[in-house]
Amino acid sequence: MISLRQFFSRRRLYDDLHDEIQAHLDERVAELMARGIPRASAVAEARRAFGNVTRLEEDGRDTWALPALDSIVGDLRFAARQLRRAPTFALTAVLTIGIGIAASTTVFSWSRAVLLNPLSAVEDPLRVLALESRTASNEWTPVSWLDARDIRDHSTSFDAMAVAYPTALAIGRDAGSERRFGELVSSSFFDVLRVRPALGLFFTSNAAGDAPGAHPEVVISWDLWRGRFHADTTVLGATVPINGYPFTIIGVAPRGFRGSMPGIAVELWVPASMLGQIVPTGGWMLNDRKTRMFRVLARLAPGVSREAADADVRGIAAAIAKANPNTNQGMSATVMPLWESHYGLHDQLRAPLAVLGGASALVLLIVSANMANLLLARATGRRRELGLRIALGAPRRRLVRQLLTEASLLAFAGSALGVLGAGALAGSFRRLIPAFAVPTLISPRVDAVVIAFAALLACAVTLLAGIAPALLGSRQRITSTLVDGGRGASGGPQASRLRGLLVSVEMALAVIAVVGAGLFIESLEKTRAVSPGFAADHVAMGQVSLMLAGYDAARARSFLERVTDQLEREPGIRNVSVADYVPLSVGEGSWEDLEIEGYAPATSENMKLYRAVVTSDYFATLGIPMREGRDFTQQDDATRAPVMIVNDAFVRRFLPGRAAIGTRVRGWGRWFTIVGVAHDTKVHRLSEPARPYFYVPQAQVYRPEYGYTVLARTAGDVEQAAASLQRAVASADPSVPVYNVMPLAEYIGGPLVVQRAAVRLLGILAAIAVLLAAIGLYGVVSYSVTQRTREIGIRLAMGAQPPDVLRIIAGQAVRLMVLGLSVGVASAAVFARIVSSMLFGVSPADAPVYAAATAGMVVIAAAAVAVPALRALRVDPAITLREE
Amino acid sequence: MKDAPARDLFPGALELMVLRLLKREPLHGYALVQRIRQASNDLLQVEEGSLYPALQRLLKAGFVEAEWRTSSTNRRVRTYRLTNEGARHLTREVSSFERMLEGITRVLSLEGA
Repeated sequence: MISLRQFFSRRRLYDDLHDEIQAHLDERVAELMARGIPRASAVAEARRAFGNVTRLEEDGRDTWALPALDSIVGDLRFAARQLRRAPTFALTAVLTIGIGIAASTTVFSWSRAVLLNPLSAVEDPLRVLALESRTASNEWTPVSWLDARDIRDHSTSFDAMAVAYPTALAIGRDAGSERRFGELVSSSFFDVLRVRPALGLFFTSNAAGDAPGAHPEVVISWDLWRGRFHADTTVLGATVPINGYPFTIIGVAPRGFRGSMPGIAVELWVPASMLGQIVPTGGWMLNDRKTRMFRVLARLAPGVSREAADADVRGIAAAIAKANPNTNQGMSATVMPLWESHYGLHDQLRAPLAVLGGASALVLLIVSANMANLLLARATGRRRELGLRIALGAPRRRLVRQLLTEASLLAFAGSALGVLGAGALAGSFRRLIPAFAVPTLISPRVDAVVIAFAALLACAVTLLAGIAPALLGSRQRITSTLVDGGRGASGGPQASRLRGLLVSVEMALAVIAVVGAGLFIESLEKTRAVSPGFAADHVAMGQVSLMLAGYDAARARSFLERVTDQLEREPGIRNVSVADYVPLSVGEGSWEDLEIEGYAPATSENMKLYRAVVTSDYFATLGIPMREGRDFTQQDDATRAPVMIVNDAFVRRFLPGRAAIGTRVRGWGRWFTIVGVAHDTKVHRLSEPARPYFYVPQAQVYRPEYGYTVLARTAGDVEQAAASLQRAVASADPSVPVYNVMPLAEYIGGPLVVQRAAVRLLGILAAIAVLLAAIGLYGVVSYSVTQRTREIGIRLAMGAQPPDVLRIIAGQAVRLMVLGLSVGVASAAVFARIVSSMLFGVSPADAPVYAAATAGMVVIAAAAVAVPALRALRVDPAITLREE
Repeated sequence: MKDAPARDLFPGALELMVLRLLKREPLHGYALVQRIRQASNDLLQVEEGSLYPALQRLLKAGFVEAEWRTSSTNRRVRTYRLTNEGARHLTREVSSFERMLEGITRVLSLEGA
């Protein structure tokens, strides 16, 4: 076997051989002439003695041939020539394949960035698992610092374990301060991920490394170092204020490392042990088992399976629950692959990406069917050529290979186009996520893996689309093809039946895509039509993080009062209030474990209820009607008895048939008295049922770690109100960063942004599917009209009327359509059942959606059939018959 | 490898002869043809050109190396030289050839006994 290098340098070898044979002949001629033989005779004698020059030279060359590679290159050349001769066919095929592969590859690159390979620049990322706690009522929660520590100390399944808490941090001071996305991590964080610093050091991971308040150190990302610090190597050892507390920069993370949050580029890492310095009163959070705030990452030890690790963790969690019944009764813990964890972007994107992936797979299948159809038509058109080659002794295997080579050439060209398309589309990932939700979204890249994926799809398309045409095309009866001049009926009944079947398949797949898109569009409409229970129009909002400004309770209170006063004086502003959680916003908000007077919870009943901490006038500002009792007032402050407002659902569940007002509820270690009952509002999702919720006054419950949202209802223009809000915060304290200043309606549309963008993409994919199916149908009908021109001509000559002709042509189309649509509707119903959990307010068997999808398909199919059918009507019998 | 056209005693004999001649000194194609003719006393009527495919096979196998040089008669000729591997191959082949010859001789002498 010769090397590839030799293979490609054969030109030289051949030239040498040629020259040397020539030299041999020359030498012989010279010798003969020296003996006095005339030149002409000498040349003849030299050639006679040498033998057949051409044959011997070829024999010599053959030594260097790689038979397989040579014939593949030959096949490719031949295929390229064939395709150049049919540019329209080639272009159509490459374009449709390009579209199909671009869609699939784009969804793949997005999924890869968020779900499949979320930890970039991390060694062996698949061995890193997420660990989460589970409550007695089977709800997932993050893990407390102490629980994480105990699990780490007692488990034997992991090489290392770390905790991380994502949070915005203010870096710098005053006017130079910026809000950046960071993670508070335990000292073992970088060990778990096996990342080494690009510059400087990472945290020292030992018990001392996690000592509270002992390590005011920060690691910054490569991008932050290049950006804010201008790639200056002297930043190591420099001090930067983070949330007002001085931290020393000890290291720079390597390029491409983005922390542990899938889809998000984290820019700085601070020891979680510094929580007490980052949040003025935050130190206690590390000592409270009920403060379950941390994500836990664990790297599996070699040879340990996930199942074994899970059993290990469950056992330890059970022991912790037993030892700490007050805080951990019924709590368990479990490990899962990172992409299954419940905290972060990927949790919101999993379902949309799965649906989009499915839809792009449908489109790719349709593309393959379309391509198979085109190839079949082509193979039929080339019967003469293929028949001739068989007649000349080409083995069938050879023809199959040749035809498959053609298919693969098209598939790979389309794939290249698809990769370009995916490259252009990768950035539109950003449109899936509301900009304010994630400040530093990563942008998916088209890298080697993505390109390999596209190449794999090209192979799949080649096989799906190429096999049948190649097998059928190479099975020709020599006599029949050559005898009837390659004009015969329509390329053999098998090919034509297969083409019809393929079109039906395309139609069926398109129906599935359209029904799917229809169901999701309907679901989105239903969701949008749901009343949130409050009036977001005419409300402006802006968010402040007092934690970032290093405020304590008293300063926070005074700041919020100043902002409120200032804003209330602005023209047009009706009501102003502040809340720590905006309904329907990104994130879950917080909950509190409650005890309700006169209500005995069941043994494992979850009494952790979501709540909002708000200032006076909250219900007026958001337009939430009070069912009974009163709104909070300025008098509900720290000097008065604690009060609480609950919602309708709270009363229905815990206080049925009782007077809610005056009932006492215990939380935060104190008793609150219910003073009002508000109407239910949606809290997390428009699609959720009403659930118990409660409100407490900000002046009575202050946690500095809470971010606050200032809300202002205006009689006038909401954009103007937003500007007033920005001014009011700045005049109250210019060092407090304010962000997400915008109309509330826009902000709470956030969760719908993912849905809306995904539904729009789904709609586009469905449209492509329909278009491709229509092209397929058009192709088949159009081809059959061409093939049957003679027959139609004869029929017309014999007195057939236009309706008869139409019946002939349309009859075939109608059969294909009925078959395709009925199979499509049936399979769509099956698929719809699978995604039914993602639908809101729409049954997976929603009749109008199916009817609309079917009707739409019929209309488009009719249009696709009409063009060739009209052509059939214009057939002039005189002309067609004369052609005979 | 394609079957070379019938040209000599047994397959591989030509190659063996070439290696044997090159062991003594580097030669170019034309000179090799002359030497083969002399060595076999013109018994081997080899088609001259069939030497070249054989040389290509030896080149590919790495038993010989080729180089364009100027000959003593001032011609530009492609001269072949035996490589170490070629020398080893020759030794191996010659001994196996001799064993085969010995076998044949024994069979023949048995019949005579």
